[in-house]
Amino acid sequence: MGKLWLICIASISILLPFLCNAFSPETPTDRRVLVLLDDFAIMSSHSLYFNALKSRGFDLEFKLADDPKIALQRYGQYLYDALILFCPSVERFGGSIDVAAIVNFVDSGHDLIVAADVNASDLIREVGTECGVDFDEDPSAMVIDHIGYAVSGTEGDHTLIASDDFIKSDVILGAKKIEAPILFRGIGHAVSPANSLVLKVLSASPSAYSANPKSKLSTPPPLTGSAISLVSIVQARNNARLLITGSLSMFSNRFFRSGVQKAGSQTKHGKSGNEQFLTEISKWIFHERGHLKAINVKHHRVGETDEPALYRINDELEYSVEIYEWSGTSWEPYVANDVQLQFYMMSPYVLKTLSSDKKGLYSTSFKVPDVYGVFQFKVEHQKLGYTSLSLSKQIPVRPYRHNEYERFIPAAYPYYGAAFSMMAGFFIFSFVHLYSK
Amino acid sequence: MARRLAGFLVLLLVVSICEAAFLFQPISDSHRSTALELFTPDHGSFKSLEETYEALRTFQILGIEKKPDLTATACRSISETVGSSSSTAKDLFYALKANSIAECKIDKKASKGIISRLKAAVSGASSLLDFYYSVGGLVLIKDQSSEADVHLADAEGVFRSVKAFSQSDGRWRYSSNNPESSAFAAGIALETHAGIVSLASSEIDQSLICTLKNDIIKLFDSIEKYDDGALYFDDKLVDGHEYQGPVSTTSSVLRGLTAFAAVTAENLNLPGDKILGLAKFFLGIGVPGDAKDFFNQIDSLACLESNRVSIPLILSFPSTVLSLTRKDSLKVGVSTVLGSEVPSLTVKLVGAFSSGSKDASLVESQELNFDKTSGLHILNDLPKSIDVGSYTFVFEIVLHEPKHEEVYFKGSQTKVPISVTGLIKIENSEIAVLDSDLGSIESQKKLDLAGKYAISLSANHLQKLRLSFQLTTPRGRSFKPHQAFLKLRHESKVEHIFVVGNSGKQFEIVLNFLGLVEKFFYLSGKYDMELTVGDAAMENSLLVAIGHIELDLPEAPEKAPRPPPQPVDPYSRYGPKAEITHIFRAPEKRPPQELSLAFLGLTILPLLGFLIGLLRLGVNLKNFPTKPLPATFAVLFHVGIGAVLLLYVFFWVKLDLFQTLKILGFLGGILVFVGHRILSHLAAASAKLKSA
Repeated sequence: MGKLWLICIASISILLPFLCNAFSPETPTDRRVLVLLDDFAIMSSHSLYFNALKSRGFDLEFKLADDPKIALQRYGQYLYDALILFCPSVERFGGSIDVAAIVNFVDSGHDLIVAADVNASDLIREVGTECGVDFDEDPSAMVIDHIGYAVSGTEGDHTLIASDDFIKSDVILGAKKIEAPILFRGIGHAVSPANSLVLKVLSASPSAYSANPKSKLSTPPPLTGSAISLVSIVQARNNARLLITGSLSMFSNRFFRSGVQKAGSQTKHGKSGNEQFLTEISKWIFHERGHLKAINVKHHRVGETDEPALYRINDELEYSVEIYEWSGTSWEPYVANDVQLQFYMMSPYVLKTLSSDKKGLYSTSFKVPDVYGVFQFKVEHQKLGYTSLSLSKQIPVRPYRHNEYERFIPAAYPYYGAAFSMMAGFFIFSFVHLYSK
Repeated sequence: MARRLAGFLVLLLVVSICEAAFLFQPISDSHRSTALELFTPDHGSFKSLEETYEALRTFQILGIEKKPDLTATACRSISETVGSSSSTAKDLFYALKANSIAECKIDKKASKGIISRLKAAVSGASSLLDFYYSVGGLVLIKDQSSEADVHLADAEGVFRSVKAFSQSDGRWRYSSNNPESSAFAAGIALETHAGIVSLASSEIDQSLICTLKNDIIKLFDSIEKYDDGALYFDDKLVDGHEYQGPVSTTSSVLRGLTAFAAVTAENLNLPGDKILGLAKFFLGIGVPGDAKDFFNQIDSLACLESNRVSIPLILSFPSTVLSLTRKDSLKVGVSTVLGSEVPSLTVKLVGAFSSGSKDASLVESQELNFDKTSGLHILNDLPKSIDVGSYTFVFEIVLHEPKHEEVYFKGSQTKVPISVTGLIKIENSEIAVLDSDLGSIESQKKLDLAGKYAISLSANHLQKLRLSFQLTTPRGRSFKPHQAFLKLRHESKVEHIFVVGNSGKQFEIVLNFLGLVEKFFYLSGKYDMELTVGDAAMENSLLVAIGHIELDLPEAPEKAPRPPPQPVDPYSRYGPKAEITHIFRAPEKRPPQELSLAFLGLTILPLLGFLIGLLRLGVNLKNFPTKPLPATFAVLFHVGIGAVLLLYVFFWVKLDLFQTLKILGFLGGILVFVGHRILSHLAAASAKLKSA
C-alpha cells in the first residue's frame, strides 16, 4: 500500500510540470494560478473576485509575497500558468522570484495580473515598467477627478473615481455592455505611445489628474486627462496577456458590492460595474476569449482538390483556412468579416478579404499574378483584443513552358501562307524544270 | 512580522478607506445579505458541525430568520454525532454548541453517556485543546439542562493543569511539548478556565483567579495598534499551520475574556478604550468575504455587546460630506457595535478644526438636537464660521443617567473628518493678448466660463496671453482650488499644461510666448484652450473649452527638439487593410483576323501568277521518261519531294523537331537514291540528245 502511494506521488510529481504549461492550443485547460498577497486577509476581503475565478475552474494558490518558499519554476518547468500580484507594498519577493523571473515567466507565454495601489513599492513599479506602463512617480499621488468622481456620503476628496471610459472591444470586455461605472481608487499610469502592445482599457476622464490630494500643486502634474490609464492590458507577441492597474481596492468585495452614482448624473446604480468589468477582463486575460487558432490551411487550383507543388502564372486557385476561437471550454467557430489573405513576394501582389461561412471556414479564390518567383500565402490577422494569427506558406510560381503558349496565331497566317505557297510552287517547279520541253 | 503588519494595515485601509479612515459604521444590512451568501450549505448541509454552528450563530446574532431545513439537517447531524460512540470530544463540543442554538431534542441516555465520556476526557486530557473541547462540552450540557450532573470533582486540579500551559507574557502553549505560545491559545485557555470555574462544585481558590487576571493584563500589554485606534492581537507566523490570522486570534481572546468575565464576579479592570479599540478593529474590517472571518467578526461583536466589562458606543455618520448649497445638516447616530438601541444620551460638538491647521476651534461647544423619528442627533445649521473645505469635527457623548456610565463605554472624544462643499462663484474672468514690450492690450475678451461660446484669438511669438479670474466661496472668502489648469492643445495633439497661480483673490496666468517657443516645439497653428478648475469642496468644478488661439511662431532652427510621438488610436492600428488586386500585363495588340486572312490571300497570289505564267509559257511534261524503270524512279522522286513537303506541314501542325528529323532522314535517304537515278537518267538522256 505504502509503495503504491509512493509511486502515485512520484508519477504526479513527474507529470505535474507537463500539466502546467502556458496556454497552448493543444492543452488549453488545466490552469494553475499563483496569487501573491501582502496579507492573507486579502483572501477574505477580495473573496468575490477569487471565487469568480475558482468557479471558472482555476486552481488558485495563495502565498505571501515574501514567503521564502515561493518559486515560479522548478527543474526548468513552470509550476503555474498565471500569476496574480496583489501585493502592492512588497519590497522584495521571497524565494527565487524577482522582476527578472516574472519577466521570464511572461516571456514564456504566461499571464500576469498586477495591482498596484497608493504607496506602491518600487518593486511593483518596476514590474509595471517591464510591462510597458509607467506609474506616477510621486509615491503619494492618486488619481483625482473633481468632475467624474463617485458620489459618496462619507468620502469627500474625490479620489474615488467613477469611470466609464472603456475601450470599445467586445472581445476584451464581453458582448454585454457594462452599464454601471467602475469604482477606482488608486494611482494612475501612463502608456508609452511607442508601445503598440499596451492598450488602455479604462481611461480617466479629461478632467482627471494625478497628484497628492493633500498638498498644493505648484507645477503641472505629470499625468492629466484621458492620458491617464486606470487599467491597461498588454498582449505580448507570444500571446501572453497582462493586466496592470493602479488600484487593488477595485477588486475588493466592498467595491464589487457598492452602489455607484457618478457626480452630475442622476442615475444611481445599485451595484458598481467592477465585478462585471473585472470578471470579463479576467476571461480575456486567461484566454477564455479572443484566443484564435487556425487549422486546415488548404489551397488548390479551381476544379481540383489536391494541393499542387507549384502554380503557373495566371492559374485560378482557391484558398481556405479554418479559424476557431477558444471559449473556455471548447473551440468555437470564429466569425469575422475582415480576415485577409495576402499573396506575397516582397510585397503583397494580391490582398483579398476571405469570405466566411460562419462556421469557421474562410475561403477565397483568385488568379495567380503573371509574375513568377517564390510567393507566400500569408494570413496576418491582427484585431484589437484577439491573438494575432500569422500563417504563411511558401509556394513557387513558374512561367509558361514553351509548349504552353498559343500555337496558331491568326496574325501569322500570311507567313504560313507564304511558306506553303512557296512549297507548292517548288513542287510544281520541280516537274516543270525536269520534264518540260 | 512588521512587514506583515504593514501589509495588513494596507488591507485595513483598503477596506475601510472609502468610509474615510477613522470612521466606523456599525453592522448593517449589507452584513445580513452577505451572511446569507456566505453561509449557504452545499446540498442541504454544511461540511462540518463547526460550520453549522458558525452559520447558526451568525444568523442568530444578526437576527436572520433561520431556514427550517437548516435546523432540521443540523439536528440530524447533531443527533448522529451525539449518538455515535466513536465521535471525538471536538465533534461533541461543536454538536453541543450547534444544539445550543438549534435546540434539538437529544435523548437522555445519550446525553448521560456524553457526560461520562467528556468527564473521562477531562481527566485524561494532555493538551490545551483536549481540555477546551471536553470542558466546553460539559459547560454546554450544563447550560442546556439544569438537572444533569456535570460538576467537576477536582476542578482546582484541572484549573492548575490548564494554567500550567501559560507563559510569562500572558500567552499560552497548546501542549507541554510544544514550545510555541500564542494569543489564540490564550483565548482558548481563558474560555476553558471560565468553563472550569462554572463547573466547579466548590469555590475555586481566589488566588488562582487573581493570577489569571494578571495574565490577562499581561496579554493586553502585547496588544497591537493601528493608526486609526483599532487594537488587535496577532501571533507570530509559526510554520503557518497553527497561525490563525489577526481576526481569529483577536476573536478568540475576546471570547475567552467575555466567558471569563461572565463567571467571575469581580471587575477585570480593563480600560474601556482597549475594548473600544477592539470594537474598532472588528468594525474596521468591513464585510469579510470569508465565512470564518465573518463568523469571528460577528461573534466577537456580539461578545462586545454583551460583555460585562463595558459596552462600546459607536458614533456613525450617514454623511460626512455636507453641502452648503443644499443646506445639509450634520447628522450623527449613536449605536452599539451591532447597531442596536442605546440609552438616552446627548451628543456634543466640542470643536471643529480646519484640517491641516492647528488653530483654535472654529465653533463653540454645542449640543446636537435628538430627532426621535430617525433616531439621529442633528445639528441643523452649520455655524457661519464653517466655510467650504475639509474639517475635523470633535464629538463627545454625554450619557444622561450616571448608572449607564458603568455599563457603556463612550470613548473620550471622537474626531471625525467632515468635508463641506459649496458652489464657488467665478467672476471677472478675462482673456487678453498683450503686446510684450509695452504691455498694452491688443485684444481683450470677457469670458463666461459657464457659457458654451468659443472665442478665437491670434498672437505671434512676441506677444503674451493673459487669463484671469476670481473665485469666491459662498461665505464670501477667496477660494483656492486644488486644480486650476490651462491646457493648450496643438492640432497635432501635442499638449501643454500650465498651473494657474493666484495672488490674493485674483487667479492669473500670463503666457509669454517668446519664452515658450522652444517648449511649444516651434509649432505654429491653432491651439485649443481648455480651462479646468476643480476642488473637492467645489460643487461646480468645471472643464471648459475656452476656444482657440492662432499662434504664429518662428521657423524651427535645425537643432530644435522634436515634439514627442503621440499615441496612435488603437482602433485605427488594427482593422482590415485595403484590398489589392494584381494588374495583369495587357495582351499584345494584334491585327484583326480579317486583315490577316486578306494578307493570307495576298500570299497565295504569286503562286497563282506563277501557275498562270507557266500555262502561258505552255509547259508540258514531254520529257517524262517513258521507259517503266525511269518512270517509276521519277514518280518515286516526286512522291518523295511531296512527302518531305507534307512532313513540313505535319511539323507545323503537330510533330516536334526530333520526330520530323527522324522521318526526314529516312525520306532523304530514299530521295537521294531515287533522285540520283532519275537525274542521271535525265542527264544521260539529254547528253544523248545533244550528241545526236
